[in-house]
Amino acid sequence: MDGKLRELLDISENDFDVVVRISREEDIAIARQMAKQLAQELGFSLADVTKVATAVSELARNIYRYAKPGKIMIRKRPEESGGPAIQVVAADRGPGIESVDRVLTKGYTTHERSLGIGLSGIRRLMDFCEIASEVGTGTAVVVEKRRRKF
Amino acid sequence: MGFKEKVVPTIRISDSLLVPIQIDLDDKTVEQLQAQLLAEIQEHRVRAVILDVRMVEVIDSYISYTLTETAAMAHLMGCRTVICGIQPPVALTLAQMGIELQGFLVARDLEHAIGMVYSP
Amino acid sequence: MDNNLVEMLVEELEAGSKQEEKLWRNLLPGVVSGATGNNLREAIREPLFGLLQELGETALGAKLKLVIERTPTIPAAELLSLILELCGELRHDSEQAVRELERMLSELATPIIRIWREILLVPLIGGLDSDRAQGMAERLLDRVSATRAKVVVVDVTGVPTIDTAAGGFLIETFSAVKLLGTEVILTGLKPEIAHTLVKLGVDFRMVAIARDLEDALRQAIAMIEEDRSRQRKIVWARGSNFPDEAEGGEHNGI
Repeated sequence: MDGKLRELLDISENDFDVVVRISREEDIAIARQMAKQLAQELGFSLADVTKVATAVSELARNIYRYAKPGKIMIRKRPEESGGPAIQVVAADRGPGIESVDRVLTKGYTTHERSLGIGLSGIRRLMDFCEIASEVGTGTAVVVEKRRRKF
Repeated sequence: MGFKEKVVPTIRISDSLLVPIQIDLDDKTVEQLQAQLLAEIQEHRVRAVILDVRMVEVIDSYISYTLTETAAMAHLMGCRTVICGIQPPVALTLAQMGIELQGFLVARDLEHAIGMVYSP
Repeated sequence: MDNNLVEMLVEELEAGSKQEEKLWRNLLPGVVSGATGNNLREAIREPLFGLLQELGETALGAKLKLVIERTPTIPAAELLSLILELCGELRHDSEQAVRELERMLSELATPIIRIWREILLVPLIGGLDSDRAQGMAERLLDRVSATRAKVVVVDVTGVPTIDTAAGGFLIETFSAVKLLGTEVILTGLKPEIAHTLVKLGVDFRMVAIARDLEDALRQAIAMIEEDRSRQRKIVWARGSNFPDEAEGGEHNGI
């Protein structure tokens, strides 16, 4: 079994500033709101706050649609070498993703009401994006965005 | 349509429908908005819908998907749709994700939007 | 006795300037006094900071070595940690300054100029990396929104090369500007850049292209004129024949 996935699924919630459980539709908006607040606290520009909030919205919706219940965990990393950063981990023990490469392709979707932009969009919005998934075990997505120098 | 079913209060000016969205959109409200707008277009024979999204802080892929879907449906009902007041951070986010608001005319502000609706 | 020691040390250190000598005189009494802890820190912090800036790390190190050799009672361990701390502060300050300069450079390199009523000009100069492009895009969108500009002219004459990444940044910026309802005119594309862009498959079809700045300005003014005359027509049409009563015809374009 994928070690990275296991590690992310078992990661301690205590290490995060915020943990939002995603099981109802309203939880998407809550996760989005929390992400926005933490990015603001780190001094992100308004555009970057919006980008982080949007990415979290996509992550939370993926869980709600395909793998609920799951959780969104967010932490501030003020001391990163490249400048203060925000990290989001989205983890669920849902069905898992068959081909990670395919979901990262813009336009790919299994859902009838979707642009298929979710994960590829998240990757464009953030500075770092890693996906670990295994069919039958679950999915974990780690994304990061650092505060821009200017 | 009863007042209770409206998620967004709309204003009718002659044959246009002005929709100032004053709430932060989430999945449920944007779906309700779609249903509401289609019903109003049908009921009042609206020729143009103007969405004012000045107050909307996040437009993600699902919200934009539902909005473009609404524009396409409105088009089939003989109605054009204009979106105006997209905030700079929202515009930057949509552009970076590679989302295009297909089917919408994009206006700077209400005045510009009304100009587009009534352009010969 | 301390005074004598200080004088002796100052003599031996052969200060290169009056300023340096003064700093040593401020520093040494604290060092040789036998004070420890916070007292020591407070006493020597400022002069040490001054000397660090005056002499640099290497020269200061050599001279401090001499001081330590001459004074067996010196609290070397505390001195060491304090010096490391100060070096850290200095480095932090200079990093801050570099960041500030980078930010300034990036802003200076992308001025946003209002060249005509409702027309903004953005002459891009230098290479485009991700941070700079995003910073530029944010500033541009804020300006467009604040000034309600109708047209943005982007002049890339000063950009040496545009690779796929930079082309992507430009397209994102243009799409974002257009989402505000503002038109974009691109000008200043050199033949070799045009060549690479086509080879790379960067598609600028979404924006108007102008031969040179003059052509760009002409196109921009034409766009504004068209917009105005449309607005006038509406006012006129509404005045004479309010659309509520008007039937059909004029709204047929969908």
